[in-house]
Amino acid sequence: MTKVLVIDDEAPIRLLCRVNLEAEQMDVIEAADGPSGVVKAQDERPDVILLDVMMPGLDGWHVAEQLLDDDRTSGIPIIFLTARAEFRDRARGLDIGGVDYITKPFNPLELAPLVQRLLDRIDKGERDELRAEKLSELRTLMESE
Amino acid sequence: MLRIGLDIAAVVIGVALAIVGLLALRRRRAEAAASGPDLESMAAIATAFGGSDDAATIARELLVRVEPLVGVELSLLYVVDNERHLASGLLGRDQGKELEWFRSITVDLDAEPSGVSTAVFEAAPFAVDDVRASTIVSARLTQATGARSAAFVPLLADERVIGVLVVGTTSRLRAFSGEELALLRTVAGEAALALDRIRSTAALRDALDRERFVARLSARVHSELDVDELLRVAVEETGTALGVDRCFIRLGDTEDSIPIAAQWHADGLDGIESGKRLAASNLAVRRRATVAIEDVERAAELVEVGGAQTLLELGSRAMLAVPILVFDELIGTLTLHRTEPHEWSAEEVGLTETVAREIGLAIHVARLLRDNERRIGQQAAFFRIAAMLGQSLSLAETLDALGQAATDAFGGDAAAVLMPRGSDLELAASVQLPDGLARALAPALPPSAESLASAAADERILVSPAVVRDDRFEPPWQSLLQEEGLSALLAVPVASLRARRSGLVLVFFAAERMFSDEELEVARHLSDAARGALERSELFEAERTARALSQQLARTGSVLATELDPAAVLDEVVQQAPALLAAEACAVLTLEDDELVVSAASGQGTADSVGVRVSANGSLSGDVFQSRAPVAVDDAVALPQLAGSDQLLAAGYAAYLGVPLSGPEGAPAGVLAVYARRPRAWRAEEIEALQALAGNTSAALANAELYSRVSLEKERSVAILANIADGIVAVDREGRVVLWNAAAEQITGVPQAEAVGHTTTDVLRRNLESGDDEAPAGQRLVSILRGGEEVWLSLSEAVMRDPLGAVAGRIFAFRDISGDRMVEQVKSDFVAAVSHELRTPLTSIYGFAETLLRQDIPFGEEERQTFLGYIASESERLTEIVDQLLNVARLDAGDLQVERGRIDVGSVVSEVVETADVGNGHRFEIDLPDEPLAAEADPDKVRQVFNILVENALRYSPRGGTVTVGARRNADRVEVRVVDEGMGIPAAEREWIFRKFYRAESAARDGAAGTGLGLFIAKELVNAMGGRIWVDSTEGEGSSFAFELPVARD
Repeated sequence: MTKVLVIDDEAPIRLLCRVNLEAEQMDVIEAADGPSGVVKAQDERPDVILLDVMMPGLDGWHVAEQLLDDDRTSGIPIIFLTARAEFRDRARGLDIGGVDYITKPFNPLELAPLVQRLLDRIDKGERDELRAEKLSELRTLMESE
Repeated sequence: MLRIGLDIAAVVIGVALAIVGLLALRRRRAEAAASGPDLESMAAIATAFGGSDDAATIARELLVRVEPLVGVELSLLYVVDNERHLASGLLGRDQGKELEWFRSITVDLDAEPSGVSTAVFEAAPFAVDDVRASTIVSARLTQATGARSAAFVPLLADERVIGVLVVGTTSRLRAFSGEELALLRTVAGEAALALDRIRSTAALRDALDRERFVARLSARVHSELDVDELLRVAVEETGTALGVDRCFIRLGDTEDSIPIAAQWHADGLDGIESGKRLAASNLAVRRRATVAIEDVERAAELVEVGGAQTLLELGSRAMLAVPILVFDELIGTLTLHRTEPHEWSAEEVGLTETVAREIGLAIHVARLLRDNERRIGQQAAFFRIAAMLGQSLSLAETLDALGQAATDAFGGDAAAVLMPRGSDLELAASVQLPDGLARALAPALPPSAESLASAAADERILVSPAVVRDDRFEPPWQSLLQEEGLSALLAVPVASLRARRSGLVLVFFAAERMFSDEELEVARHLSDAARGALERSELFEAERTARALSQQLARTGSVLATELDPAAVLDEVVQQAPALLAAEACAVLTLEDDELVVSAASGQGTADSVGVRVSANGSLSGDVFQSRAPVAVDDAVALPQLAGSDQLLAAGYAAYLGVPLSGPEGAPAGVLAVYARRPRAWRAEEIEALQALAGNTSAALANAELYSRVSLEKERSVAILANIADGIVAVDREGRVVLWNAAAEQITGVPQAEAVGHTTTDVLRRNLESGDDEAPAGQRLVSILRGGEEVWLSLSEAVMRDPLGAVAGRIFAFRDISGDRMVEQVKSDFVAAVSHELRTPLTSIYGFAETLLRQDIPFGEEERQTFLGYIASESERLTEIVDQLLNVARLDAGDLQVERGRIDVGSVVSEVVETADVGNGHRFEIDLPDEPLAAEADPDKVRQVFNILVENALRYSPRGGTVTVGARRNADRVEVRVVDEGMGIPAAEREWIFRKFYRAESAARDGAAGTGLGLFIAKELVNAMGGRIWVDSTEGEGSSFAFELPVARD
């Protein structure tokens, strides 16, 4: 069963994710701040992490850096959840090492299929291609603006 | 020693022979039973002879002893001269008395028959019993002595008859026995030995004396290199040695006019005047053989040559003249005179001939030496010339050395070196030249010495042994030299390849003198050596001049380079140019309206020429201008076609050198001309130097004009920079500030005086350079500190480059955009923050709504309630945010409604704390007084303000941190305080955080949520209620926000 770690300081959002992912037979673990998220990721070794950017204390970017720096967690794909509208912020997540980002607000029904699709492709060893696609997608968006 | 040795040998021989003779006699006596007394007397005779050393004594001894031995009263002893065949009386005795007359008796052995000659001829004793009857004995003898019987006994020595002993009786006739004759022969033999010994000794002594004399003479004459002294010594020595009255030497090879080279005469006589006709020596010259005259009065040979009378007048009777020959060349005679007739002996002749030979050799040697000396002298002169000319380098020194070398080489008393200048020869150097002559030569060679000028022109040597009688010179020159005590002169041409004309070295001599071939050779050598030396010194001068010129040019150049006023440049140039070329005047002409105008001039008589206009075509300077090439005139006087072509030449200057001046882009702009009073040759390096000066002048003029323009530009620029609003800072290549305008002072707070000369890093603690010289960023944001305040600059940078492309400096232009920047940044942050604040609740609302709409999942009632609850609360949160934004909009619009009333601050604080979300483990500590804190305020607004502060405290505090809230009465104010344990706020941000949209940088960085409106709203609300809000904070420890409100009035 796919195990998903959701790190977000907003309880409603964690719940939203849990309900919709569990509906698709995924296992959901929650963390309410950055530091506990890092610990949970190390302990539970989730298949994928949904990571909020704007958190008090340790923010999402720093959490991602810590995870990617750690051998135990560096292989886990990270999907950023961000309420920040600017492309700069989205690009930053991919730069750090995230495989994708989801902008708030999002349709919770699309969450599970997105996670599944990513994992499928990563299983095929297309993790880097994935990031490259996302970056070029972002670039196209930025240029069209 | 030798003499003593010989004497001893002779005595020994004599004694030995006597003993031999005695032994023989004794043997005969023994045979003939001879008597004892004979033997005894023989021994006595031998002894007596042996102890004697002069002929007279021996003769006396012989005669005295012989007489009793054979019993005779007459005894005579002759000595024989074998060479001349003469026998002379040596001693005669009669009756025991010596016969005086006998000493003068001479017998011609060949001509006169006599007993003596018979004895000589026979070489054996014989007796004449009756003399008077005899035909053998000469009548002269018989008559003189009265002899009756006689015995003639030859004295034999070495088989030569050296004398004859005659014994005889005068009273009676008698016979001489064989015994007696034998005895006489023996005694005569003894005497002969003794006499011969004496004669040999004397001959030996004479020979030795002669040898000694010759050796002494020879040593003296050979050691004497001065021929005159040599001759003097020779005549004195010879005359003294031979005991003559006169001795003289004539030298020359013609008969009559041979001058006397040296003479000596005995005391009391006068010298022979030169030019006298001296017959004997003339004859010796003619015969090339010795002439000996015993008596002038009777000398037949003098008749043929004449002149005997002259000799007699001199008081001379006998003379001996010997030719002096050197290798068969007759060079003169050595002559001896005696006042009495004299028969010259072979020894005298031989000695004189030897002396003549010695003199000849000595003269020859002396002549060789003299020639050698002269050659050596000549060589030495060459060397001296070479040495003297070799040492000097400069032209002046070389000319001095030339004069000195010429004086030295010829033993001159004065010298002058004349070198060409213009068409004249000018006095260039002198040695001991009398003032009058120096004055006469100084301007030019006088016309009366024109022949010297021609000699120079033809480059030939001119000698004048006696100037006064030399018709090549005119009287003024002759009398000039005479007045200065100079009689002879030598003129040697000197020239170098460079010179077009030759100069002269004149050597003057006090005495008239001839010039030998050697000296002419030396003169030619001097001429050649001078050529070399002059060329070398001219090269040296050229180099030195060039060096001096370039140094002078460099000095002038640096003076001109610093001169910034065009008029001053021209003044400087007309001062410097004559000094540069040792000229006397200078003029600068510049082009104005197709004419050349004298813009500046220096030198005597040039004052009036300034401002004079000359044609750019028809003048000398016009030629320079048109041809753009130097024009040099060495001697304008010699070029009548130049008359009127130049105003300064017309004013009396003789030489002209003009070079073109260039303007910008090399266009002809004028002429720089220098003038010399006297004619002179302009050297190539001088022309080049003037051209260089002209180049400097052109550059200096261009500089000065450029400077005028630039300084105007600069003034303009400074005025603009001073009034511009942007800060303008220029730095040099080392980064040091050279320009710092008023706006820069204002923006940075650093006065210009403190900035100039320092780097921007020193001044602003911030390097303004982009670090990218190739493409400095157009506009950059840079922050600096003004006092403690951070100031944001929008900076642009321009790099200045030198012609080679290296960075020569930078210019920074900046303006203070601290305000602008903040507003921009704050707005951007606000958008991001508001976006976040709005999207977060929207996500929940939208997400739960979509979730509830899912048909595939059967939610329980509880779940549905939870979802809907979130939708409701998040919607509320959304509303709050929107309200906040509206509040701000209202605050901006200024229509904030405040309803003030009496409120209890403490209860508001408690209420807010109770409802606060402490989900992150935060802890509250509440510090409130027991009694109520009544303030005059709007309760909703106070709650809102306090709420904002508490939310902030919670938001920025770490998890589990303590938030302390409190309120208290402070005089007529009520103070409310919220203290957190967060990261604190930097001092620079504390003012900004109360501004609209601003969020503390650290907050934004750490991802804390917030719109940046809270504190702005809080401040506006507190202000609206008549209170104030502030913050105290320590970075890293936390912040303390406080606001105070007016106390409610009772």
